[in-house]
Amino acid sequence: MFCIAAFIVLLFMAAISARYRRYLAKAASCTLRRVTFRPCDTTFKQDLKDHMLAPLAARRPGLVGPASVALEVVAFLVVLTTIWSGYVVVESAANLYVYGTCNKQDSASCSLGAEACSIPDQTPTFGESLAAWDVVGAFGNDFVRLGETFSAIPSRMQNWDASEYLPANATYLNGPDAKKETALEVIDPGCTYCLQLFQNIEKAGFADRRNLSYIAFPIQSATGYKFPNSLLVTQYLEALRLNPLADAKTPVDWQILKRIYTEENDEGVSWQSVINGADSAETTALLQEWAQEFGLSRAQVDTVASVAGSTEVAQVIAHNKTLVEERIHTVKIPTIIFDGRRHDGLVSVDDLD
Amino acid sequence: MKHNGLFRRATPEAIRTDRLADFSYLDPGVVYLDSACQSLRPQPVLDALTEYYTSYNACGGRVKYAWGRRVDDEVAAARQGVLGLLGLSGRHYAVSFTLNTTFGLNLLLQQLPHGRYARVVTSHIEHNSVFLPTMTAAKRLGIPRLLLDRAADGALLYEPARLERAIVVVNAASNIDGRLLTNLADLVRDTHARGGIVILDAAQAMAHERALLQKTDADAICFSAHKMYGASLGVIVARRELLASLELAFVGGGMVADVREDSYDLLPNDPGALLEPGLQAWAEIIALRGATDWIGRVRPGGRLPTEHLSALSERLFDSLSDIPGLTMVNAAASPVISVYAAKQDSHRLAVFLSQSGIAARSGYFCAHHYLKQRLGLPPLLRFSLGLHSTMADVDRAHDALARLMKGLS
Ligand SMILES: Cc1ncc(COP(=O)(O)O)c(C=O)c1O
Repeated sequence: MFCIAAFIVLLFMAAISARYRRYLAKAASCTLRRVTFRPCDTTFKQDLKDHMLAPLAARRPGLVGPASVALEVVAFLVVLTTIWSGYVVVESAANLYVYGTCNKQDSASCSLGAEACSIPDQTPTFGESLAAWDVVGAFGNDFVRLGETFSAIPSRMQNWDASEYLPANATYLNGPDAKKETALEVIDPGCTYCLQLFQNIEKAGFADRRNLSYIAFPIQSATGYKFPNSLLVTQYLEALRLNPLADAKTPVDWQILKRIYTEENDEGVSWQSVINGADSAETTALLQEWAQEFGLSRAQVDTVASVAGSTEVAQVIAHNKTLVEERIHTVKIPTIIFDGRRHDGLVSVDDLD
Repeated sequence: MKHNGLFRRATPEAIRTDRLADFSYLDPGVVYLDSACQSLRPQPVLDALTEYYTSYNACGGRVKYAWGRRVDDEVAAARQGVLGLLGLSGRHYAVSFTLNTTFGLNLLLQQLPHGRYARVVTSHIEHNSVFLPTMTAAKRLGIPRLLLDRAADGALLYEPARLERAIVVVNAASNIDGRLLTNLADLVRDTHARGGIVILDAAQAMAHERALLQKTDADAICFSAHKMYGASLGVIVARRELLASLELAFVGGGMVADVREDSYDLLPNDPGALLEPGLQAWAEIIALRGATDWIGRVRPGGRLPTEHLSALSERLFDSLSDIPGLTMVNAAASPVISVYAAKQDSHRLAVFLSQSGIAARSGYFCAHHYLKQRLGLPPLLRFSLGLHSTMADVDRAHDALARLMKGLS
């Protein structure tokens, strides 16, 4: 253990100073022997330890024994943390590649990935499991997560075609045109990065060049929904798709999304923030008011309101959820599929051009 | 000892000593106790080296300009100085220079003639420089190798009949505990009586136990100048007949009188040159003269070197014997004293002692077979004294070790 720790420490020291390379080679041969379970070159280990302990021995020989034990413990910790950090690097790199985030469980906490609202993983984190004294579960869950990540690598490498993932009753921001490629975004009406993505899409004129559709995916949290009114808004969006307004140039569900993402109330507060802070009655009132404004009759609004609460809509939403989680495999909202790729998180105007 | 915080090197306080002025260059913070490996060089030896390099840096044995003639004179004086130290006559013995004791022993053993000898005899306590070449020599000559024991007083335990045409190779003083080849004279007589030869490893004996070697009849004596206050150099003192009998395998410049297409004539009257192919370490050879002269005249504390060393040896032996937990390997005091602690690794002790400025050796000192295999001992800790050593050095070494042993136990 001491040799391995020495090798690890010397690896860093040798990178900085040539003085340590000589020892590095020794530590390496010592480590390799140890790794293959042949007796370690004890004189190297002993020598290293003795030289470290010598200053103490000259002053307080009585402390050499405890210090020697402490050195072994430190060596053990060095090896342990190195193995663990190596594991975390591999896991993070795989996650970054597959999901576009180094922290699959809470993608918003990963500064390496694109900005996004994470879809939280409901299994306890490593730390949470450990805190609950569930050591087996801590490692087990982590290995399961890593396994999932690796098994998702092929899907990350595939050629993505948005039309394969379209939800039922898909609607398009600008009426579908057979000559244009399909693009599909997975969004949560309450997620601020979805708002930014939509604004980028508008700035880039993205929807003029593609048939842009969406899957509304209200992100769940441990206690309900991450944005409390997202489910309600999604229910209305799906109800509107089931009952489309004939002759509407832009589908009404898209007009509502556009309002949420791009417009503000009289006090200059974005409608998204208003809805995220409102209760469900206020939200329902707003949605109904807007539907009427976008051309629905009072009777049509009532129909939509009742369909929104129906099992049919609930089934559509459940189906879309499965689609996102099990076929698209994303943990980041928004996710947008175009140009043969899946883009997780916010995409800049340049990248949309 | 001054302490500068827990983890910085302690600065040993300079100690007023009665150290010989010839070693006044020595850092007062260091107690050098590894003279058995290599002695410190007194100032006259250092001066001789510098003088050669700075004022007559010429090749020996071949040049006609003044510097070269001076080199030849000095080299001849060095050979003479060695013979003088041993009380041997140049009529019977020649002095050759080489790299070290090990090389000297090999030059002889690997060139001994086939057919003349019936066995190689050596002992268990020999240094690897004897132990190993006796193996290869026996193999080369196709004769058996016999390993004998040495008594606690160092005498070789042998039955004379087993010395028939034997090549006997043993040390005159042990590098483990300083025991001496007390029956040297008998051994030489008995071996010669049966047509054998005696080659002595005098690496440890030359510096401080020369009395034993005085006027010896041994056939060859090999030693290292670096263990007897000289510069790094090996010395072979060998009987002329032995040199003449060698089947030379190492040959080259400086050894021949004439060379033809397929043959050569060796120098006729210079048997010492037979072991000196090529240019020699002129400065080191000349400095050896400085060392032999110095050994002859130096009086540490007004006493003879042997008296000074035996006083220090007794003190060291007695004081180490009193440290609890330490086992003495030596049966008696000697300038070379080895110990071990059952519960402490000697290498660790050596590293820790070094922190207090004490330079002592740890390990098996090239006597693995004897210490490790035969006695089953752990690595040892060895203190070896030299003429630079003082009572204060001995006390400091003892105090540091006693403190460590107490603290570590
Ligand atoms: C007894 C003895 N023989 C031979 C040798 C070998 O001397 P060198 O290494 O100078 O050849 C030593 C050196 O420690 C020795 O102590």
